[in-house]
Amino acid sequence: MKLRGVQQTTWMSVLALAALIVIFPLVVTQSFYLTQATFAGIYAIAAIGLGLLMGYAGQISLGQAAFYGVGAYTTAVLTTTLGWSPWISLLFALLIPGLLAFIMGYTMARLSGYYLAMATLAFGIIVHSLLVEWRGVTKGASGFFGIPQINLFGYTFTQGISYYYLVWFFVVMVVIISLNIVHSRVGRALRSIHDSEIASSAMGVNTGKYKMQIFILSAMFAGLAGWLFAHMSYSISPTSFTFDASIIFLAMVVLGGSGSVWGALIGTLLIQTLGIIVHALGEQVSFITSDFEHVLYGLILMLVVIFVPRGLFPAAADGVRTISLKIRSRKVKKEKQSRLRGA
Amino acid sequence: MGDFFQFTLTGLTIGSIYAIVGLGFVTIYSVTKVINLAQGEFVMLGGLTMYSLSTSGVPYWLAFFITIGIVMVIGWLMEWVLIRKAKGASPISLIILTIGAAIFIRGIASMIWGKDQVRVAPFTENNPISIAGATTTPQGIWVVAIMLFVVLFLYLLIDKTLIGKAFQACSVNPLAARLMGISPNRMSSLSFTLSAALGALAGLAIAPILFPSYDMGAMLGIKGFSAAILGGLGSAPGAVLGGMLIGLFEAFGAGYISSGMKDAIAFSIILLLLLIRPSGILGEKNVGKGGL
Repeated sequence: MKLRGVQQTTWMSVLALAALIVIFPLVVTQSFYLTQATFAGIYAIAAIGLGLLMGYAGQISLGQAAFYGVGAYTTAVLTTTLGWSPWISLLFALLIPGLLAFIMGYTMARLSGYYLAMATLAFGIIVHSLLVEWRGVTKGASGFFGIPQINLFGYTFTQGISYYYLVWFFVVMVVIISLNIVHSRVGRALRSIHDSEIASSAMGVNTGKYKMQIFILSAMFAGLAGWLFAHMSYSISPTSFTFDASIIFLAMVVLGGSGSVWGALIGTLLIQTLGIIVHALGEQVSFITSDFEHVLYGLILMLVVIFVPRGLFPAAADGVRTISLKIRSRKVKKEKQSRLRGA
Repeated sequence: MGDFFQFTLTGLTIGSIYAIVGLGFVTIYSVTKVINLAQGEFVMLGGLTMYSLSTSGVPYWLAFFITIGIVMVIGWLMEWVLIRKAKGASPISLIILTIGAAIFIRGIASMIWGKDQVRVAPFTENNPISIAGATTTPQGIWVVAIMLFVVLFLYLLIDKTLIGKAFQACSVNPLAARLMGISPNRMSSLSFTLSAALGALAGLAIAPILFPSYDMGAMLGIKGFSAAILGGLGSAPGAVLGGMLIGLFEAFGAGYISSGMKDAIAFSIILLLLLIRPSGILGEKNVGKGGL
């Protein structure tokens, strides 16, 4: 049954994404760009989760990098120290961030708005401090070495084209899961919470339950991203999971648009491309350094909030829709006129 | 016992800075309902501007006041360029906006001043003094004194002057304030300028102790924000209390447990306190009304 106004998952766009993913490494063969594209996929998974949390549940998380870090360190400890298979540790890299999110969500349920922002921020800092200081488990600030590669039926995913496909396979999975959630009853309930929590609870939506579920989901996505990140590199260190990383996830979501799964993905790609451009420029112009990249991130965040508060993707989608509506109405007008003339 | 007193003294000194930064948050929040996460950058700008001015030969106390002036102009500009354009945005957008501003300012600062820590001369001669077995420096006492001065100044400004009344009116009900002939826009401007001045003052006071660098603002901003939240967002006495408590948690955490874990300890206690009192220690009366 198709209801008016009910959005459904468009398989065409998912197929288009898959096609782009398959074609990209065939066109761009330099390993530098392939590595960057692989990282983009990892960030995209975390950003999509954060986008769901922000755009659909209306909650802000300034500590998303903590879940990402917990995912990465969980798998590092399980596979390296304990020698488990990465596929078993994947389960734990999803469960432990999810469990942490559950505990946080359960205890923080009474907090909202700025208080919640503060709580997530504090959580991020606590986790980062633990990663640095809990030397017995995390090996401290110098980082964790010797993380094994992922094996599947005797095939090893090495850094490069095979890992690129592995990461983006997971991205497509995450996109499909997210789109299905967004277009389900849960998604509609979440959107109503985002628009007005009071109105939706008056309509019988259990707002607390849905917010909690989406918070856990976003943490699990971040954990998955962490798992992919850990097994891509031979080593990880706490510097990848700081407050700055949380902010970069935030920037990706804000730039692309938090009200849409595609927005987070596109935001990630744009930020990653920007990083590559700044890097390339930096090799030619001396005053463009990695600091300059931060200046740009800051500038982008400010400009987007002021000029396109909903993010680029929803704004662009609306733009396309208005233009196509205009064209259609013009066509209709012309047809009417010609019919009138004919009569 | 000597340790205990020493940690208390250290905690109160650093807590005073958090209190001033927290007061900056409250000043802006109460009028505009904006959480300005770039507040810590004002502190950083205060310290580094002072360094540039004093090393280029400007007399110390002249440089002191020029620094406050420069940072005030930056605060005013920030309100005028950013916040006014984003009127009516959601709290999430506003947080992101000020985070953007913070990253931007930090990036520019690292391009101007580089990444090294700099040394700024203390206000007065800085020979350590010992009080009952604990040592501190005159600068540490200056920090506490400046905090007390800021509290007194804000109290007089907000409670005893006409501008303060207008300030309070805007925080209670901007529309009604407008009908009484008060311009909320001007008050919003004033709150950012005032808050920038507080930040600069905190930066000047702490610079000789902490050796400022371009990235000192992030953590100070976060701690100041925590102070404001812990005390109860919108409550000025709450921000001071919150700042002092965070300073003490940190000092005792670093002293008795582990210095690397001091932030984790302080934030864990903050989270626990928020679980017990979700609207902050002194929050109940003031939240929503945003009184100073």
